[in-house]
Amino acid sequence: MATRERTPRKRPGGWSYAAGVLLVAVAYYTAAKLGLRLALVGRNITPIWPPTGIAVVAFLVLGRRVWPGVALAAFAVNLPISTGVLPATATAAGNTIAPLVAATLLAKVGFRREIDRLRDATAIVFVGALLSMSISASVGTGVLVASGALPADELPGSWAVWWAGDAMGVLVVAPFVLSLVRPWRRPGRPRWRHLEAAALFVLTATVCLVAIDADPNLMFLVIPLLGWAAWRFQQRGAAPAALLVVVVASWAAAKGVGPFRAGTMLEKMLILQAFNATVAFCSFFFAAVVTERMQAHRALERSAAGLEARVRQRTSQLSEAQQIAHIGSWEWLIPQQRISWSDEMYRIHGHVPQEFPVTFETTVDQVHAEDAARIRSNTEAALQRADDHDLPSIEYRITRPDGAERVLLGTAKVCVGPDREPLRMVGTVQDVTEARKAEREHRIAETLQRGLLPDRLPEVPGLALAARYVPAGADMAVGGDWYDVVELPSGHVGLAIGDVAGHGPRAASTMGQLRMALRAYALEEPSPADVVGRLDRLVSRLLESEIVTLVYLVLDLDSGVVQFANAGHPPPLVVGPGGQASFVDQGLGSPLGCDDPGLTAEASFRLVPGSTLLLYTDGLVERRGVSIDEGLERLATAATDGGQDLEAFCQRLLCSMVEDDTADDVALLAIRPVPLTGRPLLRVPAEPRVLAPLRQTLRRWLRESDADAHVANDILLACGEVCTNVIQHAYGAKEGPLEISLDVHDGTAEVTIRDQGCWRPSSGVHGGYGLPLVQELMESVELTGGPDGTVVRMRRRASSGSER
Amino acid sequence: MSDLARVEGEQRGTICLVRVHGEIDLSNAHEVSSEIGVAMGQEARRLVVDLSDITYLDSAGVALLLRLAERLRSRRRQLQLVVPRGSPVRRVLDFTGLPRVIPLESRLEDALAQRDHAPPDELP
Repeated sequence: MATRERTPRKRPGGWSYAAGVLLVAVAYYTAAKLGLRLALVGRNITPIWPPTGIAVVAFLVLGRRVWPGVALAAFAVNLPISTGVLPATATAAGNTIAPLVAATLLAKVGFRREIDRLRDATAIVFVGALLSMSISASVGTGVLVASGALPADELPGSWAVWWAGDAMGVLVVAPFVLSLVRPWRRPGRPRWRHLEAAALFVLTATVCLVAIDADPNLMFLVIPLLGWAAWRFQQRGAAPAALLVVVVASWAAAKGVGPFRAGTMLEKMLILQAFNATVAFCSFFFAAVVTERMQAHRALERSAAGLEARVRQRTSQLSEAQQIAHIGSWEWLIPQQRISWSDEMYRIHGHVPQEFPVTFETTVDQVHAEDAARIRSNTEAALQRADDHDLPSIEYRITRPDGAERVLLGTAKVCVGPDREPLRMVGTVQDVTEARKAEREHRIAETLQRGLLPDRLPEVPGLALAARYVPAGADMAVGGDWYDVVELPSGHVGLAIGDVAGHGPRAASTMGQLRMALRAYALEEPSPADVVGRLDRLVSRLLESEIVTLVYLVLDLDSGVVQFANAGHPPPLVVGPGGQASFVDQGLGSPLGCDDPGLTAEASFRLVPGSTLLLYTDGLVERRGVSIDEGLERLATAATDGGQDLEAFCQRLLCSMVEDDTADDVALLAIRPVPLTGRPLLRVPAEPRVLAPLRQTLRRWLRESDADAHVANDILLACGEVCTNVIQHAYGAKEGPLEISLDVHDGTAEVTIRDQGCWRPSSGVHGGYGLPLVQELMESVELTGGPDGTVVRMRRRASSGSER
Repeated sequence: MSDLARVEGEQRGTICLVRVHGEIDLSNAHEVSSEIGVAMGQEARRLVVDLSDITYLDSAGVALLLRLAERLRSRRRQLQLVVPRGSPVRRVLDFTGLPRVIPLESRLEDALAQRDHAPPDELP
């Protein structure tokens, strides 16, 4: 054929395109030759023209670009039966354009080749067949008339036959071919389906042949068979069956057998086309409707299955979530007296899921008696209230069958019906045993921690203090480091820093014991070595296998002398007034509990004014992969120039020395004696124990105020007398404050002592000296008593130059 | 014992010598008093309290000494104090007139060398 030469080779995939065109041409030509055998009018008007069906399918499946195949084949078919080349060409053009239009219109209306919807059936009948094929009929019959092959008065009849033939070609052949080219979607159909299909076709063919030959009325017997085919096999069954029936009927018409024995051509044509149309429409619409219904059914099934799967998935997710959260849920249908539990409810109560007879009573039986009473009363109250509401949540204890006790948190709500009668109660139960345990442990740890470190540093006149504690890592675990500041009866200040190896409650509790012991010993023993010695014996006897390092120092604020004993602790660091840092590394003994006689070594140094003393634990200087000497060096460098603000100094040290994920906890205590300049105000409780520390402060203040030694003694004695009076008489058996303000101006020292009580100079046998003595010691004494307390203001020239 | 004051007792024949170091105020007067009592023992006829190393003593201390003297007198024993001249506590003792009630020497040797004598008849 000439098609090959005319194939546009420039198109991509040219060979497959050429093959397509060739295939279409061959199919068209073959179908046309078969169709012409059924010709009713002359040689070229047939009641069914299969090539149109082939052409429509070709355009739908392969695309409209294969039109040359159709055109060529149509020309080849028409040429021998036409009066010339021109009429043949014209007819061929009509035969090509009609299916092209059909395919275009079908694509426009969204036609689906499966013909599985009613709209597809409608589209192919009205658009694909009846409308489009008027083109080929008009062109074809027009050409016949124009070429003189057909008398003009036969035009309407011929047109009708042509049109019906082409339309039937589309209606009967196209679905059949489409059903063939459609991929076989469900492989492995049962064998009986094939048998059924075969039986159906044999039966249909038999009925057709017998009916046409015997009684034309019997032809209508094929309708139920077509229904069967459509019902059972949809288009795949209906299309071949319809084709079979139509071919048989058309053949009968062409041969003039059966119902077509008598009558005019037009009558035959009408009968045949009516029959064919009936067959085609029936099978199509029926098949489409059935397909649509089945698809809808399948979609429903799919969505039902999807829903079911989702419900199953959600249920298992809920169950999992409940298991993870230790939350169970329950529902109580009150009128039915039925309680259902989620699986987790059973687990919480110590039962195998769904294997425990759940009733209100069996549930409450597991609850501790006092909690059960609350649950009962809550429930009764809830059932009597005639509205929807939440019950108060309740925490209660249960005993599981294995004896384990659990703490549960229950919540519930009640729903009432239209007549306000309680219908159902739903609720959740959460196992909070672990949470409560953790909370308790956390509280213990917190309490412990609070007890371990001073919650605030004491306010010591003339002493600046700052401290830091950084727990190991980010878990805020309680560690074994501690520091302490103790005001000693002598007026000196005890400073301690220590480290119990390890972390957690054990280390913390050891640390707590040591801290308290140190405080007790420090109040009794003036010597740091004695305090450390006693702690050493305590650790040896009571806290065996603990490794404890400690440095304890006693600072005499008056002289700046620091006496200390160091039990294996990193050396204190002194930052001098010039900013130079040096370690105090003498007097180093073994850690506590080593039974080392050298432990009690005591050493001392002087903290010159303007110096800062830094105590720390090893967490500050130890870092992974770095030697401790290197750490100490780094600390000395970082601490150089203590700066004005002690808090900032501590912060700066922590920032430069401690990494975020420090493995050890860090304690830091910075101490700096500061001058009592200005007008110090001392506020202490009116108790005998404050007298000695007050004297310490006063002595320092007097020295800093350049008071002469004997004048200082007199002022000290006067203050002591007044304070003693306040302590003894101002508050009776009650407690109260004692306030002393100190001031020096123009060489005169002024001391004002206030209280909020009521006292007068005593006149006991051995007392009574107080006030006269004060008046003797000071140059002026004013005593003002009132309901708000008593004020004693005393003055004395402090420097010898102006001494009287 | 507190580090505010320290009491050391020593028996010298019929004399009991008690040295008190440190400071005496309201907070420890009672304690110091009982420590002196303990240090004195039963045999001593005379108690010499050496206050040379006392750096602070106020009327609470004076009261303590007076009570001590009274207690000893009731047991027919003598109390004698040693306070050096220029001691910070001298002034408070002088002011309270204590030396008129309790014999007071500046030097320990003088106090120890003295023969027993009868206690004064009455206290101020």
